[in-house]
Amino acid sequence: METMRARDLFSFYGKSPVIQGVSFDLQPGEFLAILGRNGVGKTTLLKSIMGLTDRCEGGLTFGDQPLLGLSTSQRAQLGIAYIPQGREIIPNFTVRENILMGTFARPDGKRDIPDYLFEMFPILQEFLGRKGGDLSGGQQQQLAIARALAMDPKILILDEPTEGIQPNIVKQIEDATIRLNKERGLGIILVEQNVPFARRASDRFLVLDKGRVVLDGHSKDLTDSVVEKHLTF
Amino acid sequence: MDAILNQIFAGLSMASILLMIALGLAIIYGAMGVINLAHGEFVMLGAYAAWAIQTYTGMSIIMALPFVFVAVALVGWLIEKIIVQRLYHRPLDTILATWGIGIILQQTVRLLVGAESRFVKGPEFLSGNTQIGGLIMSNYRLFVIFFSLAVLAGTWALMTRTEFGMKLRAVIQNRQISECYGIEAKNIYSVTFAYGAGLAGIAGALITPLFSTIPTMGTGLVVDAFLVVIVGGLGSILGAASAAVLIGEATALFSMLFNDTLGRIAVLAGIIVLIRFRPRGLFPSNTRR
Repeated sequence: METMRARDLFSFYGKSPVIQGVSFDLQPGEFLAILGRNGVGKTTLLKSIMGLTDRCEGGLTFGDQPLLGLSTSQRAQLGIAYIPQGREIIPNFTVRENILMGTFARPDGKRDIPDYLFEMFPILQEFLGRKGGDLSGGQQQQLAIARALAMDPKILILDEPTEGIQPNIVKQIEDATIRLNKERGLGIILVEQNVPFARRASDRFLVLDKGRVVLDGHSKDLTDSVVEKHLTF
Repeated sequence: MDAILNQIFAGLSMASILLMIALGLAIIYGAMGVINLAHGEFVMLGAYAAWAIQTYTGMSIIMALPFVFVAVALVGWLIEKIIVQRLYHRPLDTILATWGIGIILQQTVRLLVGAESRFVKGPEFLSGNTQIGGLIMSNYRLFVIFFSLAVLAGTWALMTRTEFGMKLRAVIQNRQISECYGIEAKNIYSVTFAYGAGLAGIAGALITPLFSTIPTMGTGLVVDAFLVVIVGGLGSILGAASAAVLIGEATALFSMLFNDTLGRIAVLAGIIVLIRFRPRGLFPSNTRR
């Protein structure tokens, strides 16, 4: 398994650097939570890993492979699965097609949907033939996670997976995220506003402010005073 | 009565050719939002490719179709890679660029092959007519009608039944997320553009026995094909098919009632009225722009 390393990473929209010199390591199987107030660059940092910003500078590697020269789809094929904010499933595709789409990033070209997805999210099995756009927000989030898992990834990148979702499904998604990390050994990068969940699930955390890392450490050190100082408005 | 039937047949024949040209335009617009003004020249290249193959190898145009498809698709692929791909974020410039490409292609053929009309022989086994009562149908035109239906069915299957089609539909709906799941959108665009060009090439080859093969032959055809795409709804395959039949038939029937010129005016007036009430065409689809 590979380690993801960011070293002094800058990321730009147009000429403005949104991410300014961020460094972090994600060891294989590690769970990293990225915290911070609104608009500090959390989503941009995730997009930078996928190559979805206008331009990046600095170092970003996955194992021995530098990522910055690669296209988004090549990065996906290395086993980096990105679940964006707002889920972005394809509304006109059926649930099955949406999951199948995840397999397009498999380097081995296989098109099988793993069974454990349906054990984890039984509702998807039931709704296989429905259009993705007809699902509720929570179901769409489950679908987005299933799509990402269908590519058999090494790292899962989640952007606020529980935002705007009915409470009964929030618990399912939180548990699934933790299980994927603990039982299947997936490395996880999670952007989250929900600090108690981040603290419970993650091994380490970093706090962003104005595009820079202002604090990082082990999640057990994510005390209320830290939260008070960096995360409340 | 017979005259009407014969005009309906002529309209269908016209529609089948328009359909094959318009399909390529519709797919290219639907996938990339590119209005490809060089499309008529792809038709022309297809016609000249058929002429060249027949002249130098003696092959019948039906046998030559696969080669024509590949040759024109290759030209389309190169044009997409070299020029169009750099302009996807500047849609207005693609119009100008493809128009320029069209002129270059036209003048290149004029320089290399000459401006005079070239003759291409229709296939022997399709010469003659099929007669049902007073309805006289040229076998070759019948073949073109059925061939265009096959092209339509093939294109539909490509879009809805293959992995390529699924990837293309994914890219049309959400390019970024498609790329996050391993779909290289650039390649999908290149292949789509090449496929549309190849279809135009096939149409060009098939019309060689019916039209005169000259360097400017594409210009008039592409105007009609654009009308089909606009009436059908930009980017819609089903729309293109029904609009092709509608315009082909309307042209044929109005030409019979009045004459060719007045018929043409009547068709254009009809389209203006239709666009007034359905500005997005008969079957609008949700494209990127």
